[in-house]
Amino acid sequence: MVAVLSLLVSFMAPPTQAQGLTVKKTTATSNQITGNQIIGGVPTRITWEATVDRNEAVKQITLVFPEGSSLGEHANTKATVLEGTIRLDTKFTSTISNTQTVVVFDELVESDLLIRLEMFYVALPEASGEYTLTGSYIDATGREIKLEESQTISVIAATTVDQITQWMDDQPWVEAWNSVLFLKIFLNPQYLVASVPALFFGWLRSLGLVLVGFPLAIPIGLGISFLRMARFGVIRFFAAIYVNVIRGTPLFLQIYIAFFGLPLLGVSLDSYVLGIIVLAVNSSAYLAEIFRAGIQSIHKGQFEGSASLGMNPVQTMFHVILPQTIRRVIPTATSEFILLYKDTARLAAVGVMEQMMFAKSLVASSGNMTPYIVSAGYYLLVTLPLTKIIAEFEKKLAAAEGSTEAPVKKPKRRLFGIGSIETLIPQKKPDEPLENSRSAKKLRLDEEEGPHDKHD
Amino acid sequence: MTSMINSSEQPVVRIIDLHKYFGSLEVLKGVDIEVSRGEVVTILGPSGSGKSTLLRCINLLEKPTEGEIWFEDTCITDPKTNINKVREHVGMVFQSFNLFPHLSAKGNVMLALRKVQKRSREEAEAIALEQLAKVGLSDRAEYMPSQLSGGQQQRVAIARSLAMDPHVMLFDEVTSALDPELVRGVLDVMRQLAQGGMTMIVVTHEMGFARDVADRAVFMDEGVIVEQGTPEAVFDHPKHDRTKDFLGHII
Repeated sequence: MVAVLSLLVSFMAPPTQAQGLTVKKTTATSNQITGNQIIGGVPTRITWEATVDRNEAVKQITLVFPEGSSLGEHANTKATVLEGTIRLDTKFTSTISNTQTVVVFDELVESDLLIRLEMFYVALPEASGEYTLTGSYIDATGREIKLEESQTISVIAATTVDQITQWMDDQPWVEAWNSVLFLKIFLNPQYLVASVPALFFGWLRSLGLVLVGFPLAIPIGLGISFLRMARFGVIRFFAAIYVNVIRGTPLFLQIYIAFFGLPLLGVSLDSYVLGIIVLAVNSSAYLAEIFRAGIQSIHKGQFEGSASLGMNPVQTMFHVILPQTIRRVIPTATSEFILLYKDTARLAAVGVMEQMMFAKSLVASSGNMTPYIVSAGYYLLVTLPLTKIIAEFEKKLAAAEGSTEAPVKKPKRRLFGIGSIETLIPQKKPDEPLENSRSAKKLRLDEEEGPHDKHD
Repeated sequence: MTSMINSSEQPVVRIIDLHKYFGSLEVLKGVDIEVSRGEVVTILGPSGSGKSTLLRCINLLEKPTEGEIWFEDTCITDPKTNINKVREHVGMVFQSFNLFPHLSAKGNVMLALRKVQKRSREEAEAIALEQLAKVGLSDRAEYMPSQLSGGQQQRVAIARSLAMDPHVMLFDEVTSALDPELVRGVLDVMRQLAQGGMTMIVVTHEMGFARDVADRAVFMDEGVIVEQGTPEAVFDHPKHDRTKDFLGHII
């Protein structure tokens, strides 16, 4: 009688709001190759968890997928019942379709237990949006009770890159390629395709660091180079300390001191801005030496020629010496630019978002080295053409004024500089008398009245 | 600075008891000399005799250790003198030309006109072209120094100095760095300049030039003036053994 009644009730009454099953969690596993989002239209794993309330028992659960969902090959649903952290040996049968999955437990799932349903290879709708799972359950009495609405799953529409990588997943040649461990780890086609756009913005940010930092370093370096040649020993001494301390310590250490030291002093700067400042200060010390070498390589006769025309030291510096210095230091300064550009990568250590950091996070999330290889490609995209340009410029320079003076020798820096700098062979004008080549060794611009009081 | 009086009696350059040391080495051991307006003086002597140093002291490229140097009525050895002002009126041409390699021939001549004399671009350009024409290089105005021969470069350097309208021109062995066939062009320009009445002090090894062009020849050795006089007197009838010895080696 009661059974009949309850059957009647269950048939007649619409499923009532679930009171007996609390949905704890609804998630989908990211199916994006270089990110942590869920792409629509691409199979993913949906995990749904609910606890059985007191005085309730569950026989069967039906979960309805959002409209537009589809199934991949091997789609299936797996149910797990947990008591606390202990997994119970609960038998079940499940069916899955484009619209829903139904899980029937062999025995009732009693109260206080946690039911976890994992639906494999389910593709959420292609359109981006927030999706929920609906559905119902059947309790011990056979009543069908509507489930409360689940948490939402954010789905993004597939990008072209996602589509390409998805397509690649199914290609036999990709599979063959990836069957070689080295290729799979270092030159994985899917990660290659996915990393290029993902690293692009990191590349721009790194370029931004050096394109702001380097021009900032130029005037500082020039100023320091003037101080290095100042008439007063004290000024030269302090300028030398600046140059030698910065050049004599690792950039890495300087970054740490700036990034961890300044906050302790209560100075808080945007990490990107601070990164630029550290790079600029570091580079200025190297540039100072490049400029100094450049200025001192200018023949003493240039100063004398200017002086004999009544030009004062400042006019001489700006109209005669610097224009020649600039042309001469362009190759070395460009290679300093290259070094600084590569040095932006060190800022990844303190969390400045730049290319290295982008690559690092991709590698961390994928466990694949390919993003680093792509990153290398991005660095080379800048450094190789610049190296080429330096070589061309040096050739032109040697041809244009090679007759008059020797080129600036690059101050020694790191082991792996750009080699072509050193290959310039000093050329001497054949009819230039040797006597005059004592030139710039210990030059103080003008013995009588240096321009330095202006720069000091 | 003091005003400059254009008096024909007043010497353009007057050097009184000039001493110059390089470290402990005394290169000038008390030199006295006066150069009058329009006079062409050649200074001869073996290398190391101090003749170049003497010349370079006149526009303070070398700072005298002792003694006085007057340019017209300005004492340039006075620390209060603005030497750049004086140098505008004292042209100098160097053995190694010292052209500015980043500027064309015209640009070389124009630079000081623009920056020191603050002339307009048009004015400076007109003067530059005029001076380049004087040294026979009208057609090379746009050439870079590296595209010119040594002789042409030296003539540009002369034009550059002349453009400043100097009261005296100092020539420091200006043909020594030139190939023999290029020397003549430069000497011709200098000869022309002398005939035009320019006051010139010329340190040279070109004995022919010294003999023909100079009003006075000065022979220096070991930091002192050994003898001076008309070129005929010094070349043909040297009084001192050191002069004879030197001329004997040179000619």
